[in-house]
Amino acid sequence: MRRYVEGAVQLLGPVALVVVVGILSTTVSSANRIYFLNALVSVAMVVAIYVFVGNSGVLSFGQISFVAVGAFAAGVMTVPLDSKKGVLTELFPLLRDHSIGNIPSLLLAAGIGGLFALVVGLPLMRLSGLAAGIATFALLEITHNILQQWTKIGPGATTLSLVPQTTGAWQATLGALVAIAGAFAYQRSRLGRQLRASREDPAAAQGIGVDVHRQRLWAFTFSGALAGFAGALSVHLLGSITTDQVYLELTFLTLAMLVFGGLTSLWGAVVGALAISGLDSFLGQAEQGVHIGFKLDLPTGSRLVFLAAIMALVLILRPSGLTGGGEFRIPGLRRAGPREEAPAPPA
Amino acid sequence: MIVAALDFQTVSDAVATGAVYALMAVGIGLVFGVLRLVNFSYGQLIMAGAYTLAFTSGWPVWASVSTCFAVVIAISLAMELTVFRPLRGQSPAVMLVTTFAIAFLLQAVALIVDLRNDFIGEVATSISALNEAITVGGVEIRKVTIVAIGAAIVALVLLALLLTRTTIGLHTRAAAADFRTARLLGVRVNRVIMFTVVLSGVLAAAVAVILTVQVPLVSPDFALHDTIIVLVGVVVGGLDRLWTATLGGFAIGFASGMINGALPTDNTVYLPSVLFGIVILVLLLRPAGLFSWGRRASAERV
Amino acid sequence: MPEPVLELQGLEVRYGSVPAVRGLSLEVGNGEIVGLIGPNGAGKSTTLHAIMGAVPAHAGDVRLHGRSIRGRPPERIARAGVALVPEGRRIFSDFTVEENLRLGLAGRRKRNGADPLQQAYDLFPVLHEFRRRSAGALSGGQQQQLAIGRALVAEPEVLLLDEPSLGLAPMAVDAVFEALRQIREREVTILLVEQRALHTVALADRTHVLAGGELRLTLGPADAANKDKIIAAYLA
Repeated sequence: MRRYVEGAVQLLGPVALVVVVGILSTTVSSANRIYFLNALVSVAMVVAIYVFVGNSGVLSFGQISFVAVGAFAAGVMTVPLDSKKGVLTELFPLLRDHSIGNIPSLLLAAGIGGLFALVVGLPLMRLSGLAAGIATFALLEITHNILQQWTKIGPGATTLSLVPQTTGAWQATLGALVAIAGAFAYQRSRLGRQLRASREDPAAAQGIGVDVHRQRLWAFTFSGALAGFAGALSVHLLGSITTDQVYLELTFLTLAMLVFGGLTSLWGAVVGALAISGLDSFLGQAEQGVHIGFKLDLPTGSRLVFLAAIMALVLILRPSGLTGGGEFRIPGLRRAGPREEAPAPPA
Repeated sequence: MIVAALDFQTVSDAVATGAVYALMAVGIGLVFGVLRLVNFSYGQLIMAGAYTLAFTSGWPVWASVSTCFAVVIAISLAMELTVFRPLRGQSPAVMLVTTFAIAFLLQAVALIVDLRNDFIGEVATSISALNEAITVGGVEIRKVTIVAIGAAIVALVLLALLLTRTTIGLHTRAAAADFRTARLLGVRVNRVIMFTVVLSGVLAAAVAVILTVQVPLVSPDFALHDTIIVLVGVVVGGLDRLWTATLGGFAIGFASGMINGALPTDNTVYLPSVLFGIVILVLLLRPAGLFSWGRRASAERV
Repeated sequence: MPEPVLELQGLEVRYGSVPAVRGLSLEVGNGEIVGLIGPNGAGKSTTLHAIMGAVPAHAGDVRLHGRSIRGRPPERIARAGVALVPEGRRIFSDFTVEENLRLGLAGRRKRNGADPLQQAYDLFPVLHEFRRRSAGALSGGQQQQLAIGRALVAEPEVLLLDEPSLGLAPMAVDAVFEALRQIREREVTILLVEQRALHTVALADRTHVLAGGELRLTLGPADAANKDKIIAAYLA
């Protein structure tokens, strides 16, 4: 019973935060709405990355590959048939001559993202540490290279446009909630708990019969599916996309969001995504001049300076992230079994 | 498909790229060895050096180049004192992401400085005379290609001597091999770290000089892509030892030089995928690094 | 008893909330060898690491010649005249034997006097013979000699040894203890952590038995013959 109460409380924080942002997005001007919706899509992406990186403790620079594949799959398949035949002439006939609706495209993106992750994860999940980081980065480079060059599966180096903009307040909010609920269910499941045990101590986890390779592969696959789904949300929000939009910058930004919020918790992923998105939008406004009691008018280009400086400062002063890496809890409510982190004794 | 591009110009350019990347690999590898920190913002040190060269283009060459060294070393030390030192002992992910943030910070600052004249990019011209071609044995070769290769060799030899023949070098190697034991023996680790950070700054400044000759147009993302490729190279080569990291940097620089020299055809557009496919393959087969052939007793950690 | 060089006063060390050393007090006088024995996990190594400043002391004090060195970083404690021969030797196997010895100079305060490397070579001639070889190529016993030699070139006042006989063949063990006798003659003060209780009790001026992070019993050289007392001390 206590376990369920505790779980419900943990889920309450992220869900409430997302719902509030979703509701707020409907109260602002349509010019500002994009910031809120973008923040919600960021939540879905960062939560997807968290499912693998946060639970396994293995750093991956490759999760945006799955976002990219999901975004292009959903985008290419939802461009209306009559315009598609005129623009994307080189596509495989199967892709060129068919189009699907919004919801099927979200499911398709999740499926393709998951499948892609499963296939590449089979060999890659044998790696850990720096080697894993670099190998997943190589995956990102390969995905980008192929998406940019192979015009039979997508627009290549040109912009994919005319994608229906179906990600409004509802779809963004629900999409972020689906990602959060999925990630939460996973980390509370037996699979998730085994992987988290291996994060703390891989050798000990193996000793009690955890197949670390297989557990990482499940997380990688599920993370890939959620990332593909988030990519679809994103393309339906923007209406157009290029391969460079789902490449290095997004990789660094989303990882920074995750570490900024707190690498090891779902709450951290959500808080980090919303905090950085919010900060970014606010600073963007401030460059135009904004009133917050007094008139704040930042010089053009200073947005990135402030954003990077705040990020660096928080990481230096609070390396475990804004949330400290713990799940959401209500202060004063007792937790079952507090744990204290002990430093390892000298060898 | 690579064979078609095997002309002398391409190969010598690829060797020059490899040489420059080897220098960057040493700069990154040194800091990693002692601090266990992958410094993603290393490229921004080079970028800062390149801007310094651009802004001092009117000065005499010696003044411009020494200002470049001074600026880069100063930023390198400032990074250590304000960022690396507070992060000591943190997880690799936190350290890496913090250096992302520093990289973006420096880039953003550079953008603002650069935009004062309302267009992006500055041109470093003070030593562009090196860009002229000379004829060696019937083939044309750019002077900077020779200078790049020569400078890299000289720098590596000097560094090897510094690390093997001096006390501070011995202490640096010890701190890199076993930080904790080195401290217990009385090695003053903060001094070693400062020394390492200055050395990596010196290398970054040298790379800035060479790169601005090759590519005189300096923008905020100058050397960013090179740094990413070198980071891949050092891990593939083996980041645990300096010489394997250096070889990794050279190898990936040479490989990407050859790829860039290849004529664009329907197939060569996929060469980056081939390169990164090889990277994955190598990591799967030799996760500790391509050149880490076990723990050979005679292997010197240079 | 000679004037104490090294003193521990109520030393407490914790790993998180788990106490590893509880209120440990002991003194090592000038030129003495003091042994510290006890079962695994008794807190022996932790005590040495706390003296070196490699793990923080939660309470209590560590004094060298009456002056507190608690809270100083390890390199400063090493340079103040305390040298550690760490458990598992911790030699730099990629470096030459001579380079390993030269690393020991990092903890040396005096800059004059006899060549400290030569002193180490005098004590362990095999190190001189193999000085150009890679340290990783030495046998276990030779590596232990190197680790002790490396600590000695710092010309320390206090030498801490953490299980120097661990993993060595019986003959090499005897060589280590013989070397410690010779080092004592140089008026180096020694705190020796060991598992080989009989050897230690026989060598040391006093041997403390540590269990559960606490001092249980102190034995003198005369007790070396009394195996039952030593065994009883372990089981207490």
